[in-house]
Amino acid sequence: MRGRPLLHTSYQSDQALLDSWTKKVTTGLFVVFLILVPLGIVPGFQFLAETDWLRLLATVCIFAIGALGLNILTGLAGQISLGHAFFMGLGAYTAAWLGAPPGALVGMGLPIWIWLPAAGLVAALVGVAVGPTAVRVRGLYLAFVTLGLVFVGEYLFRRFVTITGGSQSGRSFPVFEVRLWKEETPLISFVTGGPWFGFELSAQAKTFYFLLALTVVFVVLAKNLQRTRVGRAFQSIRDRDIAAEIMGVEETQYKLTAFGISSFYAGVAGALFASFVGRMIPEAWSLFLSVEFIAIVLIGGAGVVSGALLGTVFVIILPRIVEDFTSWLASYVVAGEGVFVPVADLLVSRGSGDWGLVNTQAGVAPGLGVAQVNLVLYGLLIIGFLIFEPLGLYGIWLRIRNYWKGWPFTY
Amino acid sequence: MRIKSKWLVILLAMGLVLAACSPGGESEETTTTGGETTDTTEGPTETTEPTDTTGAGADIATDIGVDLEAGTITIGLLSDLSGQFSSLVQLIVAAHEIYWEDVNANGGINGLEVDVVALDTEYLSDVHVQRYEELKDEVVAFGHSTGSPQTVAIIPQLEADGILAIPLTWYSGWTDPTYNNNLMHHGAPYCIESMNVISYISEQLGEEATTLAIASVPGDYGLDSMEGAKLAADALGLEIVYDGSGQILPGDEAAFTAVAQGIVGADPDIVYMTSSPLQWGPIFGQALAAGFTTAHWSGAGPSYNPAFIAPDSAIRDAVAAMTTWGSYYSFWSDDSPGVTEAKDLLMASGRVDRPVSAYLEGFVEARMMHGVLEAAYAAGDMTQAGVLAAGKSLESVSFDGIAPDETYVGTPDEQLQRATNMWRVDLAGLDDGTHAGEVAVEPGYVSDAAAAFEFSEACYQLEG
Repeated sequence: MRGRPLLHTSYQSDQALLDSWTKKVTTGLFVVFLILVPLGIVPGFQFLAETDWLRLLATVCIFAIGALGLNILTGLAGQISLGHAFFMGLGAYTAAWLGAPPGALVGMGLPIWIWLPAAGLVAALVGVAVGPTAVRVRGLYLAFVTLGLVFVGEYLFRRFVTITGGSQSGRSFPVFEVRLWKEETPLISFVTGGPWFGFELSAQAKTFYFLLALTVVFVVLAKNLQRTRVGRAFQSIRDRDIAAEIMGVEETQYKLTAFGISSFYAGVAGALFASFVGRMIPEAWSLFLSVEFIAIVLIGGAGVVSGALLGTVFVIILPRIVEDFTSWLASYVVAGEGVFVPVADLLVSRGSGDWGLVNTQAGVAPGLGVAQVNLVLYGLLIIGFLIFEPLGLYGIWLRIRNYWKGWPFTY
Repeated sequence: MRIKSKWLVILLAMGLVLAACSPGGESEETTTTGGETTDTTEGPTETTEPTDTTGAGADIATDIGVDLEAGTITIGLLSDLSGQFSSLVQLIVAAHEIYWEDVNANGGINGLEVDVVALDTEYLSDVHVQRYEELKDEVVAFGHSTGSPQTVAIIPQLEADGILAIPLTWYSGWTDPTYNNNLMHHGAPYCIESMNVISYISEQLGEEATTLAIASVPGDYGLDSMEGAKLAADALGLEIVYDGSGQILPGDEAAFTAVAQGIVGADPDIVYMTSSPLQWGPIFGQALAAGFTTAHWSGAGPSYNPAFIAPDSAIRDAVAAMTTWGSYYSFWSDDSPGVTEAKDLLMASGRVDRPVSAYLEGFVEARMMHGVLEAAYAAGDMTQAGVLAAGKSLESVSFDGIAPDETYVGTPDEQLQRATNMWRVDLAGLDDGTHAGEVAVEPGYVSDAAAAFEFSEACYQLEG
C-alpha cells in the first residue's frame, strides 16, 4: 500500500529481500555510489579513488565475504566458532595448489573459475567434517574445539612446506585473471591497469570491481538464506536447539549445513585475501584473524547481513582512521595554532621525550603505537558493544531509525 | 501525483547536500622535519610520464617522489616498528631522519630537500606488501626494506614497478642477479658471515673445538645463515652434532625448549644460532639454566640485541664471557672519520638516549641513498626508473670507515663482501658510558673459507 511500507499484502512483498521502497532506492544508490567511487567522479569522495583507499575498500569486500560466513554460523545458527581463520587458510592453500603456476612449490596453474570455487568447496568439506562436534558440545566448549582447529591448522601449515612455503617464508598466490584454460594472455585481467568501457582504470580499481561483484553475489545469497527453510531452521536452532529438534528440525543435518556454508564463505574469502595480498606466511592464519572476524560480527550486529557489512567497514577502516587521526594530531601540534593544541599535545607524542598517549613513531616515543592502539580498540569495542549495545552497529542504526520514524513524536 | 513529488523533493534535497560537500576532495599537506608521513593531494591516477621542468634544477626528469618546484625528494622506509626487530629498526629509522636533517640543513641534494616517510610493517610479509603498495606512488625509492622474507615478497612488485630498494637484511640473494635487479646489497651476507664467525671462533678456541651445533628460524634469513655454517663446518673439519635449522619457530615457546634441550644434549664446543633476539635470548638462557656453560656461542648479527647486556639482564655476564659476534658495520667505539661524524650528529640531535652501534646501519643506508640520488641527479634522470638505474650502476660508495666500500658493477663474485668485523662484549666500557658495550676484536676479518668461496648464486635458494 502506498505510504504504508510495512503493510505487506502478498507473500511476495513480505518475503522480498528489500521490502520497502526506501530500502530499494538506498541500496541501488549505494551500489551506484560504489561503482562510481573508483572513477574519482563522486564529489567529496575523490580521495577514495587513491590506491591505498581502493586497497582498503577491496579488503573490506574480502572481509565482508568472510564476515557473512561467520554471521551465518554464529549469528544465524548460533554456533560459536573461533576456527574461521583455519578455514580461510585452507581455502587459500587450495587456491594456491590449484591455481599457482608450477614451480618449486606445488601449483597446477588452473584458471580462476576452478580454483576459487574449489577453495570454498574444500573448506566446506572440512567444515562439514568438523560439524559433528557442534552436535555434541555447545557454546563455550564449541569455542574451545574450534580454537583447537586454529592451532592444528597453524602446525599443519608450517609442516607442509611444499604447499605453504614454510614458516616465515610463505608463498605467492594466483592472481585475479580470467582464463579459459592455461593460455598465455588472460581473457580479462584485474591486475593490470587499462581502459574499460572508455574509462582509464588502475589495477586497484579493476580488482575492486571484481571483488565488489563477488561480494554482491555473496550478500544476496546470505540475505536470501535467512528467508529459506534452511535459514529458518538455523534460527530455530540458535534460539532453542532442543526445542527445535523436538519440532522436527534435524539438529545434526542443519548444524553440518551451517558449518559447511560458513566454511565455504571462509574458504573463498581466504583465497581472495591471499591472492589480493600476493604473499602470505602460514602464521597469518592466526587466532587474531579469527578474533577479528568475531569482532566484526559482534560490533556490526550478529544475525543480520547489514550488521556484518557495517561491522566489516568499521573494523577495517578503523586502523586507517586511527593512523590518519594520529598524524593529523601531530601536524596540528606542529602547526601550533588553535585552542586545543595543548590537549592535542598531551594526546600525541611526536618523538622521544614528548609524552603522549599515542605516538607516530612506535617504540621510540612513549605511548602506544598505531598498531597497539588498534589492538586496544578492538578489545574495548567488543566489550563496549556487548555491554551497551548487544545488537551492535545495526542496533544503533535501529535506534536512530526508530527515533526518526516517530519524530517529532519520539516519546 | 503525491509519491513522485515526495521523491522528487528528497532527490533534490540529496542533491543539495552533495553539492554542499567540499569540491575537489581532501587536501592535506603536512611536512614536518621529524619525518612524519607526508600527504599530498594528487589526482586519482598518477602521471607516469617523466615531466621536464625548467625551474631550479634545469632539465632533470622526474615522475614520482621528486618535486622540483617544491624542492623535495621523498624516500620511503618499510620498517619493522612494532615487530620482532623493532627495537633496532626504530633506531635505524631515527638515524635516517637525523642524517637527512643534517643534509637538508647543508643544502640538500643540489638544493632539493629529502623527506623520509617510515611506515610500520610489523615484520609481517602481508603488511609489508600493503605498505609497499601505499608508498609506491609517493616515493622515488625505498631507503630500506626490513626483513629477508618480506623483501622477497615485494620483489615481483619492485620489478614490475621499476623501483629501487635497499634491503635491511643480509641475505646472500641480494648479490645474486636472479633476485637483485631492484636491490642494492651492503655488507657481508649471512652465509659469508657464518663462515667468518665460525672460523674466527674456531681459531680462537684452537684444536679442542671439534663440534658445532647450529639452529635457526625458518625462512631465507635463518637458512642462508645455516648454509654458511655448514660450509664452514666442512672447511674447518667441525662435526655438526645438532642441526636445528628452521626449528626455531617465533612465538612457539615449546620449540625454543626443544632447541635448547637439543643443543645441551649434543654438548657442542661451538653454538651458532640465528634468529631474532626474542628467540636467541630465551634459548641461550634456557641452556644456561640447564647448566650448559662450556660452549662458545654466536649467531648472525641481527640475533644480537643490546638488551642482552642491559644492567638488569640475567644473561649479561654469560653473554660477555661466552659469546663473540660479527658485525656488518663499525662500532660506537671506533674513531674513524665516518663514525665520529655520525656520533656527533646523533648526540647533537638530542634524540639519542644512549650509544647503540645499530644507529650506524641507518647511516650506511642513508649514505648509499645519498650516493644514488646524487648520481641520478648528475645523470639528469630522477624518475623512479632513473634512480634505479643510477643505483645499479654505482661504481663505488664509501662510508668513511662506518662500513667497507661497496660496488654495484662487476660479477657477483667481485661485488661480494667477504669481511666481517668481529667483536665482543665489554661490560666495563658499557657501564661507564664510554660506548655501547661492543669492542672490536678483529675488524675486517676474512676467513680462509670466505676468501676461497666462489660466489655465483645465493647460498640458500628460495622456493616459491
